[in-house]
Amino acid sequence: MSTVRIGVFICECGPNIKNAVDLDGLSRFARGLDNVVVAERFALLCSLEGKDTLAKEIQRHRLTRVVIAACSPKEHEHTFKQVMAQAGLNSFLLQIANIREQCAWVISDKTRATQKAQAILEAAVNRVARHEPLEIREIACLPDVVVVGAGMAGISAALTLAQKDRKVHLVEKAPCIGGKVARYEDLFPNLECASCVLDPLLDAVLHHPNIQLWTLSEVKNVLGYFGNYTVEIITKARHVDLQTCIGCGACVEVCPVSVQNEYNEGLDTRKAVYLPYPGALPNLAAIDETHCLRWQSQDCESCQQACPFGSIDYQETDRNMSLKAGAVVIATGFDLFDVTKAPQYGYGKIDNIYTALEFERLVNANGPTQGKLILKDGRVPESIVLIHCVGSRTPRYHQHCSGVCCSYLFKFAHQIRKKIPDATITSLYTDMCLPGKEAQPFSDKIAQKTGLKKIRIKDPAAVTITQDHGRPRVTYTDACDASKSVVADMVVLAPAITGTKDASSLGTLFDIPLGGSGFFVEEQTSLAPVSTPIEGVFVAGCAQGPKEIQAAVSQGQAAAGKILSQLVPGQKRALEAMTAAVDTELCSGCKICLGLCPYKAIVFDDTQQVAGIEEVLCRGCGICAATCPSGAISARHFTDAQLGAEIESLARHTGRENRS
Amino acid sequence: MAHKPKIALYWCSSCGGCEESVVDLAEDILAVAEAAEIVFWPVALDAKYDDVARLDDGAITATLINGAIRLDEHVSMARLLRKKSRLLFAHGSCAHLGGVVGLGNFFTNEEILNRVYCDVPTVNNPDRVLPRPETRQGTTVLKLTGLHDMVRSLHQVVDVDYTIPGCPPPPALVKEAVMMVLEDRLPPKGSIVADTRALCYTCPRKETRPEMLEVPSFKRVYEIEWDPEQCFLNQGVVCMGPVTRGGCMAQCIQANMPCRGCFGPVDNVRDQGAKSASLLASLMESTDEEQLKKIVETIPDPGGLFYRYSLASSIMKGRVRRRP
Amino acid sequence: MTNDFEPIIVGFLCNWCSYEGADAAGRARQCYPSNLRVIRVMCSGRVDPQFVFQAFKQGADGVLILGCHPGDCHYKDGNRQALKRYTLIKSMLDAFGIEQDRLRLDWISAAEQEKFVQVVSEMTERVRQLGPLMPRANPLKKLDSNRSTRIENDMRFLQRKHKKISTKARKIESTK
Repeated sequence: MSTVRIGVFICECGPNIKNAVDLDGLSRFARGLDNVVVAERFALLCSLEGKDTLAKEIQRHRLTRVVIAACSPKEHEHTFKQVMAQAGLNSFLLQIANIREQCAWVISDKTRATQKAQAILEAAVNRVARHEPLEIREIACLPDVVVVGAGMAGISAALTLAQKDRKVHLVEKAPCIGGKVARYEDLFPNLECASCVLDPLLDAVLHHPNIQLWTLSEVKNVLGYFGNYTVEIITKARHVDLQTCIGCGACVEVCPVSVQNEYNEGLDTRKAVYLPYPGALPNLAAIDETHCLRWQSQDCESCQQACPFGSIDYQETDRNMSLKAGAVVIATGFDLFDVTKAPQYGYGKIDNIYTALEFERLVNANGPTQGKLILKDGRVPESIVLIHCVGSRTPRYHQHCSGVCCSYLFKFAHQIRKKIPDATITSLYTDMCLPGKEAQPFSDKIAQKTGLKKIRIKDPAAVTITQDHGRPRVTYTDACDASKSVVADMVVLAPAITGTKDASSLGTLFDIPLGGSGFFVEEQTSLAPVSTPIEGVFVAGCAQGPKEIQAAVSQGQAAAGKILSQLVPGQKRALEAMTAAVDTELCSGCKICLGLCPYKAIVFDDTQQVAGIEEVLCRGCGICAATCPSGAISARHFTDAQLGAEIESLARHTGRENRS
Repeated sequence: MAHKPKIALYWCSSCGGCEESVVDLAEDILAVAEAAEIVFWPVALDAKYDDVARLDDGAITATLINGAIRLDEHVSMARLLRKKSRLLFAHGSCAHLGGVVGLGNFFTNEEILNRVYCDVPTVNNPDRVLPRPETRQGTTVLKLTGLHDMVRSLHQVVDVDYTIPGCPPPPALVKEAVMMVLEDRLPPKGSIVADTRALCYTCPRKETRPEMLEVPSFKRVYEIEWDPEQCFLNQGVVCMGPVTRGGCMAQCIQANMPCRGCFGPVDNVRDQGAKSASLLASLMESTDEEQLKKIVETIPDPGGLFYRYSLASSIMKGRVRRRP
Repeated sequence: MTNDFEPIIVGFLCNWCSYEGADAAGRARQCYPSNLRVIRVMCSGRVDPQFVFQAFKQGADGVLILGCHPGDCHYKDGNRQALKRYTLIKSMLDAFGIEQDRLRLDWISAAEQEKFVQVVSEMTERVRQLGPLMPRANPLKKLDSNRSTRIENDMRFLQRKHKKISTKARKIESTK
């Protein structure tokens, strides 16, 4: 170290610090500390005048380091770093002594507050003497974006980005886009026709020059960091030429294989070559290799022969693609709670018990019954029971409230009433969750119009459904603790909305933890709801948590907005300066650090047999530095020497000597 | 050959293993004796305190002191030899770090004396007679040298030029230290005659160390039949290799025993035991506090294990000494 | 021990939750014992066991490590590393004659100013009961002499860390 010239600037913070701490005593004390060349008090350092004086003082005294004794670093460290830069000093040669939040405001006795302020100040002076200037590096970034999932949230994100001239890779597992919403008949609260609202959007996605759609595709691996991601995907062979197929369905008619149709929730069958459901976009057939006879070593060529456009290609193989992008949006949607795991509901064993998604297909004009609401035997149901909170709001299955079920069950009541004017509709609920400006008026209106019978029950998890002469009998405990039961023709369950089954493998790839019920964890619940702990990876829609369409769209757009503001073409991104650093002369290559880094920022150099830090990935937590058994990793700006100086000053500084 | 360099060897609180490491030079010792004059080596040669005291200051080219500092006598001999020697070597773990002897700092002198002179099963001392500083027998007064309440390393008592680590140091390192002097190729003062990196760097098993390692419990060497090719940590056996300076040619590992840490920490580590805790904690496979406690219980006497050689020169240096 | 003893508690507070919690206590003007001395670290996972022992050796009567609640760590699971180390350090304290209660790990979120105040108060009271960790006869004199050797030792440690300085290390003249 050449000459260390430390200036100590003590802020009165109006009356805040002035009245609580003996500031003249503190200044005198500071002047006696090692390397301190000036120590003065000022009225308000964060004011324009204060900052100006500070910059001048730094230059006048040729200071090389600065300690500011004032409020929490959380409040004004940034402000004073800027002053440092203005005065020509590296902004890391600053240390804040927090004598407001930690002294002035929490210690009523002035002597004690002053003693503690002395300790804090001395620690700051001794620490700053060991500070090193740090350089803030910048990297070039790719402006393109990968969006995983082409449901409402993914589509919203993709369109928002594409409209601002960003190239978007939209990766969708299914052969068609629009997610689950595309398979609904009506949307609450306005009861608009879903496909009427949705189709123009889906069309925009399909035809937007900036959106590259990858259907039948899944993410296999993710490499890189914010600004420079490589997302490796596998695109399953469709065996149908995208350019020539017009979705006429000629192939479907001749296919000899029938399998359960997952796009109708397994309520009917489809062929091995299929269009997922009428109106699915893009309107293209696809061959399902797991069921097509050709992949069961049989020599069927029916579809190829039937196709008027020669679009069928049996030779096509799965392709691995590497997509380059600066940021990623995860919008993989939700699954419903598997009701077979709660056997008391009789789901899967007793006929005419449906989940909400199955019901959506039953009432859909493009669904398995062409929209006819009928029972398994073709009769029209005379009584239907709707059950809220299936598998949710209970420690037994999922603790959360999915937040949308109450609303859509009212929509169901409306749909039932429209189709069967004289059916009895009963809803078994415990609490109604109808937040926001639309849901309550919507439900009131429907309840009145449909004559919905609402029965408040004790515990939805305690509902049991048994078979009564072939019909489901629903037994429940009502709000007055009486055991009751009702026999119905049809029961519709509203199961908890959960994360998707493949969320955990996706989470592992992106290194984003999943919370309870399989939703991706956001960076901060209230303030950073679409960011994740991994920079440059965003989460939107039901992948983040259960929500209505409006909220999913908002999140998709919000994620796009974050990306548009953080990833500007031509603009470089500043990297964390307080990263870890490996002294490669000391590293023994023990590899202990590799498994500990939360961001996989430590790489092993096989030739040198030592560890190294990928600085673009490092976020500066210092876990590796604390663990490195060789002391070869240092945490910049939180080095052993810097923290050691603080520890020594604070541990030693008794104030005991002054105690009378 | 009128001015052969003079060499001295001395032992303080030591087991004699370091002396063995000199004897283990075998024929090479003859070459040393040829090139240098061994002026003082109480274990092997008959020389007295006065022989050293009579020498001019700085007359001895190099002195190797092994053993920890525990008695007044050790301090005065160390100071005398320091004065008479141009170069002073801390020889072996005890002189370097306090060594196994330093583990005494986990106990008070009273506890140690009672244990050694009264309570050990093989001792029969019903009157609990303990060594005393002074014993009078008629007109004769027999004085014992003072017993310190702390074990210290040589560094904590006198200025040391170089250190030969190890318990005991491999003969090759002792030879290297002596040759350094004889051939006049001295490294910067304070150097440790060993590697700068930890043992893992030269460990023959390092290839088997995985990038991600968590163990459900730690094993002691007798508890499992361990794979002679696999990284010890990978097998859940506590190995101090990552927290220990290399340069020992991984002799223990070659003999299929985990490293016990006798070379002490590398330069950037102040406290080998604390770093060992950090190392082993990072390997514990659990997120649950109770489960973690169970894993910790599979490490008997963690203090003694982590500080086996370095307690006296650790941050705490030993048990907290309270005022009586 | 007389209860007018004023212990020193060195606290390592993580930047994102616990330090914020301490600030929140400040903003709410919640008085708590002045014995806590705070060191801000980015993550509780930065706390090296060496720091804990250094604090004890250099005069702290108690050491407090505060981090984000499990699952809320800003760095995903740095607090888990802190918990693992803490559990192991705890097992070493007996050998050093340091009472278990002198070291405490707790989770304080940015909103938990009340809990922060409670933890600091409890810790201070407990350590006050336990008394000073190190002997403090004639504190002024003893502290000063200890202090200079401590500084020397630590400067030596620092010097070793700075390669520049170590390469400048005096080379012994060959023969004389």
